[in-house]
Amino acid sequence: MKNTNLKFILIACLVLIASVKSYSQISKVEIIATGLTCSMCSNAINKQLKATVGVDSVSTDLNTNTFLVYFKKDSKVMPRVLKEGVEKAGFFIGSFVITMPVENLKAASDKTISLNGSTFILLNEGPNGSTGETKLKIYDKGYVTQKEYKKLLKMFSKVASYPLENEDDYHIKIII
Amino acid sequence: MKKIILLFSLILSFSAAHSQMKVGANLPDVQLNSNQDTIVNLASLKGKTVLIDFWASWCAPCRLANRKLAPLYNQYKGENFEIVGIALDTDQMKWRNAIQKDRLTYLQLIDPKGFDAKSAVLFGVEELPNSYLFDTSGTLVAINPTVEEIIMQIKK
Repeated sequence: MKNTNLKFILIACLVLIASVKSYSQISKVEIIATGLTCSMCSNAINKQLKATVGVDSVSTDLNTNTFLVYFKKDSKVMPRVLKEGVEKAGFFIGSFVITMPVENLKAASDKTISLNGSTFILLNEGPNGSTGETKLKIYDKGYVTQKEYKKLLKMFSKVASYPLENEDDYHIKIII
Repeated sequence: MKKIILLFSLILSFSAAHSQMKVGANLPDVQLNSNQDTIVNLASLKGKTVLIDFWASWCAPCRLANRKLAPLYNQYKGENFEIVGIALDTDQMKWRNAIQKDRLTYLQLIDPKGFDAKSAVLFGVEELPNSYLFDTSGTLVAINPTVEEIIMQIKK
């Protein structure tokens, strides 16, 4: 009995690992919330994120105001939806980091990636041959603090699309 | 069969816990660990005026409120009054340090799962701080009571 249980768990683990590897969508998003004195003292953001269609689970680090959002397989949730969720709960985003498989970035010869009708525009150099998952930080308005955005506007003044504030264009930097 | 019963009771407890506990509800049968490493059942406090206070070490407004609760407890602990702090901290060390730093002498329990903690779901805690005042018969009489309301209840 115990043996069959163990086997079952093993198989389940293998299936899980395989399924995680097979999809090339955004796999994880890390959001740091700001806005009120104690963002974490309210369950509102957590609930709002969990209720978003396509979101599988949300784990929170209560000491750092960080929400880790995991997606269902083949989920097409774009950052905008999560940002709106956080804002709907009455908070703001301080930092928004996406985890994506590297294959998605390889297509980016002209530093843009298309995904589910959205465009991701790279602000720094592309991946240097690394494999696995890449972390990308979004630098658009609403994904960083207001103060930071004002500074970024000057910093990226040469990027034509940056000040347009197009909701479906995401300006990103590879951080890992 | 046992598993089915367990599953049903789980589903029931989850569906029932969706809303906040209402005035008139009874002191629930919940067991939690204390900072003295004992297990305390909330229902065992029946017979006293009990304030159950949900907080966490990372919640600044809670820490401020606790500093007001500590002297209140010291003043009225001889009058059949008990305060129970339930922390939603996931980090036990941070919780213990906060108790020490804020000099909290009343009963301190921990349910280390944040807002997903069983007791938080049972009470319907949606934001911190959040407190519940039970009378001596173990009936919920007020949610987020003021210090004046608590004193009035003790003196009843």
